[in-house]
Amino acid sequence: MLFWENMKLAFQAIRINKMRSFLTMLGMIIGISSVISIVSIGDTMRSVIAAEYENIGKKRVSVYINPEDGLYDDTCLFTKDDVEKLKDAFQDNIAYIGLGFYDRTNLQKGRKTIQVTIVGTAEKYTDVQKVEIIYGRMISDQDVKEGKKHIVIQDSTAMEMFGKENAVGEVVRAKISQEEQELLVVGIYKNTDSALMKLLSGGSLATAYIPETVGIRQNDTLWSLDMYVSDNADMETFRSQFVGALSRMKNKAKEEIEFYTAMEDMQTVDGMMSKLSLAVGAIAAISLVVGGIGIMNIMLVSVTERTREIGIRKALGARTGDVLMQFLIESAIISAAGGIIGTALGIGVVGIGGATIGIGVVVRPSVVITAVVFSAIVGIFFGLYPARKAAKADPITALRYE
Amino acid sequence: MKEIIKIEKLNKIYDTGAIQVHALKDLDLTIEQGEYVAIMGQSGSGKSTLMNILGCLDRPTSGSYLLDGINVTEQSENELSLVRNKKIGFVFQSFHLIPRTSARKNVELPMIYGKISASKRFQRAEELLKKVGLEKRLDHMPNELSGGQKQRVAIARALANNPPIILADEPTGNLDTASSVEIMELFSELNREGATVIVVTHEEDIAEFTKRVLRFQDGHMISDVRREE
Repeated sequence: MLFWENMKLAFQAIRINKMRSFLTMLGMIIGISSVISIVSIGDTMRSVIAAEYENIGKKRVSVYINPEDGLYDDTCLFTKDDVEKLKDAFQDNIAYIGLGFYDRTNLQKGRKTIQVTIVGTAEKYTDVQKVEIIYGRMISDQDVKEGKKHIVIQDSTAMEMFGKENAVGEVVRAKISQEEQELLVVGIYKNTDSALMKLLSGGSLATAYIPETVGIRQNDTLWSLDMYVSDNADMETFRSQFVGALSRMKNKAKEEIEFYTAMEDMQTVDGMMSKLSLAVGAIAAISLVVGGIGIMNIMLVSVTERTREIGIRKALGARTGDVLMQFLIESAIISAAGGIIGTALGIGVVGIGGATIGIGVVVRPSVVITAVVFSAIVGIFFGLYPARKAAKADPITALRYE
Repeated sequence: MKEIIKIEKLNKIYDTGAIQVHALKDLDLTIEQGEYVAIMGQSGSGKSTLMNILGCLDRPTSGSYLLDGINVTEQSENELSLVRNKKIGFVFQSFHLIPRTSARKNVELPMIYGKISASKRFQRAEELLKKVGLEKRLDHMPNELSGGQKQRVAIARALANNPPIILADEPTGNLDTASSVEIMELFSELNREGATVIVVTHEEDIAEFTKRVLRFQDGHMISDVRREE
């Protein structure tokens, strides 16, 4: 087959009809660039989320009781005593354990009010969770033991409330567990979330840390345990031992104890993200089919316009296969060129977007290769019908065509 | 002389479903190598049908057609393409050059399908265009050429693969008198050089240039006159 001659012919035909070829390619360009950018955005989000969980620590575990009969009563709640007992029983395996105190409350200073999420920390919190303190200090074990009314707030909260970042030494009022409290600001931390994570959590409240003991009184109970497993502990062994011990302690069936790790959480989110980006990518792929139909349409016009040329070529000795190849290569080139331009555009858009919000974007080579190969296949598939029409033309009729 | 075309009991019937048109009826025709033949007749006489069959663009309904020893009626579609490429040089009434393609590229076309190497093609196209007097128009596009020049490009293209037969269908139909004479003189020259030239025409003064005139009417050959020099 006169492959190179056909390539030259195809490029010549594309050059002659520049505007038309470009418009034909546009469908492919838009299709491929949207597929690539959507899949890349999805991949980037997954990598950012994975990095985020790396920060939180994969050793994080949430434990709560989920009664079989669905009746949540006091026996499903945890007390401070429970925590102490568990801490003693598993001191080698548990790096941190607390009652998982979270609350949403207003911080007040004069007439300024800011809503924040309060996190109550237990002892050793800084061993397992990184908090970047820029002024003052983090809540200490001493604060926890003594129930000191101290608070650590985010830099932006300080800025908003006191008009300065270094607000150490200031006092704020807050209602915590239905009780009005005055809290001393002992530290200011900086939000180290990545740009995308900030985007994802956009609008959510800043966190403020207080000693758990300030929020929870001696006889209070809470529905979950917040726990970090030591680095040297094996998660599966620990899980079975811990669930066993807890089920005896709380007199609950093992099945009723939910032991939920950050790892599982991440896998769930990651699975959701990849399914989502696949689904949206598949929708975008529909535009490729539309682009392919555009190519078929223009190739049909082109074949009709060039009926006489086809007749001439056949009279001069072109075989059916030669004509077929000529038109097939032409549509494949239009389509693949659109695919390559679309890929560049897609990567460009994602790259610029990533640079703007300060995230390293993830573009998988496999996605790029798939997109370009797929576009060429679309070109060949949709070029086949017009090319066959051209190839089967009867030379006498074709020569007479005006 | 060698018989280059031998047609026996050839019939061509166009079946359009509703009506059957018997375009050629029991035609016997022999043309020898080096002959200069005019095929004449009114429209509907069967001369175009004969031209298409001689050019292997169409197949006869029955009968046999030997072209340079090849039984054309038994050839497949792709084999016919090869026969057209190697054995026949076409010259058409409306030139049929490929638009937006230079004179040189047009002349190269049959050689591309004849799988001649690029460098040989390039050279031969130049030689042929020189032969027809267009050495200064090598890279001109068809729309930059006059009718006579276009027809000369077409003749150069017909000669590309050095075919034994030149088949011209009303070659002067779209040309003025002066260009017509030039073109016919070119055919005469090619014939003197040994090519078999067959010209389909309805003009008597064009037929004057040839040495043998076949007249057709209603699918029959009604006369076959050889002119002595």
